[in-house]
Amino acid sequence: MFFHITLERNMQLHPRHFGPHLRDKLVAKLMKDVEGTCSGRHGFVVAITGVEDIGKGLIREGTGFVTFPVKYQAVVFRPFKGEILEAVVTMVNKMGFFAEAGPVQIFVSNHLIPDDMEFQSGDMPNYTTSDGSVKIQKDSEVRLKIIGTRVDATEIFCIGTIKDDFLGVINDPGVTA
Amino acid sequence: MADKAGKGSAFPGGNDLGSLKGKSAAALKESHVEIELSDSDGEGFIETPLPSSKGKSSAEAKSGKKRVSFSSLKTSGDLGKSSNVGKAGGKGSLPQATPLEPLIAETQLKLELELPKGARLLMDCEAAEVLQDIHEHMTVLSQDPKIKMPESFSKAFQYSKVNDHYNNAKAVRQVLETLKLNAVTDGEICLMGNVCPENVDEVYALIPSLKGNIEKNEVALKDAIASLAKFRTPK
Repeated sequence: MFFHITLERNMQLHPRHFGPHLRDKLVAKLMKDVEGTCSGRHGFVVAITGVEDIGKGLIREGTGFVTFPVKYQAVVFRPFKGEILEAVVTMVNKMGFFAEAGPVQIFVSNHLIPDDMEFQSGDMPNYTTSDGSVKIQKDSEVRLKIIGTRVDATEIFCIGTIKDDFLGVINDPGVTA
Repeated sequence: MADKAGKGSAFPGGNDLGSLKGKSAAALKESHVEIELSDSDGEGFIETPLPSSKGKSSAEAKSGKKRVSFSSLKTSGDLGKSSNVGKAGGKGSLPQATPLEPLIAETQLKLELELPKGARLLMDCEAAEVLQDIHEHMTVLSQDPKIKMPESFSKAFQYSKVNDHYNNAKAVRQVLETLKLNAVTDGEICLMGNVCPENVDEVYALIPSLKGNIEKNEVALKDAIASLAKFRTPK
């Protein structure tokens, strides 16, 4: 789920950047440091939408660097337990399948795939119903529910399920229109 | 600092751990799924103190916090039983089927609580509009070889575009905001907007926390679903 939040960060700037374009350099450094990162609390910082306030700089003793407290607004993406997402399948194996929803990876275990779907190995491994009507393979779009999250230094990893009502394949790339 | 930040964010979770008295320490450790790291995570981030959420956290404590552990998912796909991992510390106790709905209801409450003050939930259609503006700016800036578009932005932008099922995000927001009068939370509204339901059964199946106020919200949900259908882009 996307959120628009206000965050605060202490930015350190080398004295060589001081001058009439100090603010621009601070904002550029902020974007470079923060955009694309992942925080356990806020999730993926997708994009900075604006800088609300830059406080007074504090000179650090001994180094000459100056620390500025910067308040900024950003769009973040963070999955939550219980959330329903539409994801694209990236890999299928006998343990389950991996899917991607934006920057987030989700794993759906075979235990959380409906019992009437079985794994079919081959060039294009997939899960298929006994009558062949529904297939989950690479590039399929599935609707799943997040049931658990794990946060790493740079990414968030989720466990999902498609075993509940109204979950499962939305679009199968193998089916011709 | 990261650890402190983690604990600060788990402020309602801290209360919940307190409410789990009687459960084994091992179960508590096992049930703590999220691991918040690291230097880059903590450094420079000033955590604004959470607003007083005693009312909600006490509601959570009353509902009885239970977390699903990953190790239990490896052994069994049945979530109803797996929630007993934390509960049944001893061998002699009978397994009790715990419904999944309280877990989800707690999550919906958590959606509001874990975020800092002033956070605004965005539906995928709203995020698509915001990210589209930023993308247009970035296209100009990306001509400078020093500036690189982050991969997570591209993925998030693509994701929001694909899941943008409506032609008027503002109108959709207006329609769904009216549901707040019927005890529907921000998180539930957002989920509903993203899911694009076709009927009220789908809404209750995907967002079980709404079932708690079914007398209050059923009619309003039906009206909202009918209104949302007008703004849906044809497939």
